[in-house]
Amino acid sequence: MSITKRATFLRGVHVPDNKYLTNTKPIEVMPAPKLVFISMSQHIGKPSSVVVNVGDRVKKGQLIGEEVGFISASVYASVSGTVKEIKSIKTPLNTATYVVIENDGLEEEEFLPPIDKNDRQAILDRIRIAGMVGLGGAGFPTYVKMATEEKIDVILINGAECEPYLTCDHRMMVERPEGVVLGAKYIGKALNCDNIVIGIEENKPDAIKAISQIEGVTVVPLKKKYPQGSEKQLIYACTKRKVAPGKLPASQGVCVFNVQTAYQSFEAIEKNKPLYERVMTVSGKGIENPKNILVRNGTPYQDILEYCGGLKDDAVKLIAGGPMMGKILPSPQGYAKKTDSGLLVLDKTEVCLEEPSPCINCGRCAKACPMHLMPMYIDLFTKTGNYERANSYGAMNCFECGTCSYVCPAKRDLVGSIQYCKRKLRETRS
Amino acid sequence: MGKLVISNTPHIKSKSSTKRIMIDVLIALLPAFVMGIVYFGWYALLLCAISLITCILAEVVYLLIVGEKIKDIIRKFDFTSAVTGLLLGMNLPPECPWYLPIIGGIFGIVVVKMLFGGTGKNFVNPAITARIFLVLSFASFMTMWGEPSIGALFPLDSGATSGATSGATALGPILQGSSQMSNLDLFLGTGVGASAIGETCKVALILGYIYLVIRKVIDFKYPLIYVGVTGLMMVIYQGNINAFLPSILSGALIFAAIFMATDYVTTPNTTLGNIVYFALLGILTATLRHLRGTESVSFCILFMNFFVPLIDRHIVPKPFGFKKAKKEVKDGK
Repeated sequence: MSITKRATFLRGVHVPDNKYLTNTKPIEVMPAPKLVFISMSQHIGKPSSVVVNVGDRVKKGQLIGEEVGFISASVYASVSGTVKEIKSIKTPLNTATYVVIENDGLEEEEFLPPIDKNDRQAILDRIRIAGMVGLGGAGFPTYVKMATEEKIDVILINGAECEPYLTCDHRMMVERPEGVVLGAKYIGKALNCDNIVIGIEENKPDAIKAISQIEGVTVVPLKKKYPQGSEKQLIYACTKRKVAPGKLPASQGVCVFNVQTAYQSFEAIEKNKPLYERVMTVSGKGIENPKNILVRNGTPYQDILEYCGGLKDDAVKLIAGGPMMGKILPSPQGYAKKTDSGLLVLDKTEVCLEEPSPCINCGRCAKACPMHLMPMYIDLFTKTGNYERANSYGAMNCFECGTCSYVCPAKRDLVGSIQYCKRKLRETRS
Repeated sequence: MGKLVISNTPHIKSKSSTKRIMIDVLIALLPAFVMGIVYFGWYALLLCAISLITCILAEVVYLLIVGEKIKDIIRKFDFTSAVTGLLLGMNLPPECPWYLPIIGGIFGIVVVKMLFGGTGKNFVNPAITARIFLVLSFASFMTMWGEPSIGALFPLDSGATSGATSGATALGPILQGSSQMSNLDLFLGTGVGASAIGETCKVALILGYIYLVIRKVIDFKYPLIYVGVTGLMMVIYQGNINAFLPSILSGALIFAAIFMATDYVTTPNTTLGNIVYFALLGILTATLRHLRGTESVSFCILFMNFFVPLIDRHIVPKPFGFKKAKKEVKDGK
C-alpha cells in the first residue's frame, strides 16, 4: 500500500481502538429468542402506534407499529408468532410501549411488495415504509434526512466507525460490500446524486480493499482518530466542506448515511425486507466470547450476553453502544433496538474509576475538542450557574463526543457539565 | 458477576493524570537539579530539600487545619506542592540562608495557592511569587550570586571552593555589552555567576525540556517562542546580532521558559492565546532587562500572569464551521 496522507479533521484524540477482540470474527446469526420485546420508540421522533392486538398471530416482517406524523418510523415484527402482551416497560434507558411476541419458531415471512427500482419516489417511499433510521446510533428517520430541499451532490457513507471496540460496520463492509454500495446507490438515485463517497478509517484495511473493488464508489481512507465518524468531522475529512454550527449537512450539499443504513436500504429495496434486524458487536474484556452478531429487533440483552458466553466475574461496566458515547446500563435489562451498534462489557483494566480532581487549566480539552470549544470554561461557568457565559464558550455546539472528558488529566466530567448546561439553556429558551 | 458501575460518558479515559504530569515535571527537573548540586555543593541540595519539604508540609498542614482527613489528603495528594517546592529551591541563590526556603515555601503554598482555592485556582505561579516575595524581603541575600565550580561537591583542591560574591551575574556585563564570557561557558554554566541553583547548566535544562515535550506535558513551541522573542528583542535593543546567544543563554531565561512560564494554571488555555502570551512575555522580558540592566524574568512572568484571564476572555476559538455573520442586505426598493 502506498503511503499517502490520510484525510482527517482538525483536533480530536487518538484512542486505543481495541477492535482486535472482534474485527476478524465473521458475522454470526444469533438464533431468534423465545420472546422478543419490540419497542415502539427506537428512533428520534414520535413513538410508533401499535397496530396489532394481544393474541394476534404475526409473521416475520409484518408491520406492528405504524409511524405517526412526519418524524417517526414504522416498526416490524422480527419473528413469527403470537402477540402475548402490549405494555409499557421501564428500562434503564427509557420508558416505552413494547410489543411482546412469543416466537413459534416457524419463521414465516411477510415482506413488503416489490417496487420499481428505477422510480425515485418509490425508493424514497420504500425507505420510509421499511422503517429505516440512522443505524449509527442516532436513530434519526432516514427519509426525513432525505426529504431535503437542498441540492445534494455527495452521498457520504460513514464507514469510519471511530468508536473503540465496535466492529459491526467493519464486518459489514468486509462481508457484504456489494450490498452496502448498492444501498448507497439507491439512496443516491432517490436524491438525484451519483457521487457516492465512503470514508473508512485506516485501521480497517480489509474493508477499504473490499469496498475499493466495487465500481462506482470513491473510497476515502481516513486517519484513525476520534471522533472521525461524527457527521461534521467526517464531511470535513472527506470533502473539506465545513458545516456551520446549527446547520444540517445538506446545507453543504452532503447527506451522510451509516454503512448499515445503506445495507438495510439495499435489502428493503431489492429484497423487500423491512428493518427488523441488525448487526451489532458484543465485545469487551468482561465478556467470555466477543462476537459480531446479527440480532433480531427486540432480543433481550440478557439473551445476547448469554449467547456470547455471559459476563465474567470482573465485569464493571455494561454499555449499550460504544465506550465513548454509549449509554451505561446498571443492569442487563433492556432489548435490542434498531440503533444498538454494540453491547460492551468492560472490566476494570479498561474503564477509568478515578474520581475527578480540580482543573489545572492544562487546556488539553480545548486542544482536542473537534468543535473547537473550550470545555474547561463551560464546566466552570456551568458549575457557577452562569449558563449564558458558558454558552459563550460554545456549550450549545457540543455534540457530546466525550473527547474532552477522555483527555482530561484531572478526570473531570466535562461532558456531564456540558449536558447539564445545554439542558438549562433549553429550559430558559423555551 | 460483580456490581456494575454507573458513570457518565465517556466510559474509557486516557491514562494521563494530574499526578503523572507533576511527577513528569519533577523528573524533568532532575538533570538541572543534579547539575546545580554539582556546581554549588551540598548546601544547594539542603536548600532544595528544605524547600521541597516545607511546601509539602505547608499544604498538608493547611488542609488539616481546614478540616480534611489525613487519609483523604494522602489519597488526593497530586505532587503540585512538590513541584512548587523543588522549583522554589532551584530558584534560590546557592548561598542564601537556610530559612529563606521555609519562609518562601510557606508564603508560596499558603498565601498564593491554598488561600485562593488550592491546585488550579492560584492565578499566579506560587514558586515565582514566593521568589519575588523573598527578593523584596531579603534583597541582600537574594542578590548573592554563587560562583559555580565542579569541585564544589568534593573540595579536594582548596582553590576550587565556591564563593559567594555579591554583585553582577554574567547577565550584567552582557546587558552592557562588555561580557567576556564565551557562549560555550554560558551554555554549560561553567564559571558563570548564578542567581539561582537551577538556572546554570543549559544542557541539563534542555534535557528536561526534551523529556517534557516527549511526554507531551508542554508544547514544544511555547518555550521556544519565549526565548526566541526575548533574544530577538535584545538584538534590536542592542543593535548587535551577536547579542542573541549570550542574552538567551545567560540569566534565568531558559530555566524560566521551560519550567516556570509553562505552568498550566497560569497560562492561557488555547494555542493562539499561549502564542500571544509567550510572545508578549518575551517582549516584556527583553524590555525590562534592557531598561533595568538586570535579570527580570520572574517579575515579567508574574506580571504576565495577571493578563492570562484577559487573554482567555478574548481569544476564544470559533466553533468548527463558524462563519462570520454576513450583514443582511436590506431589500432596497
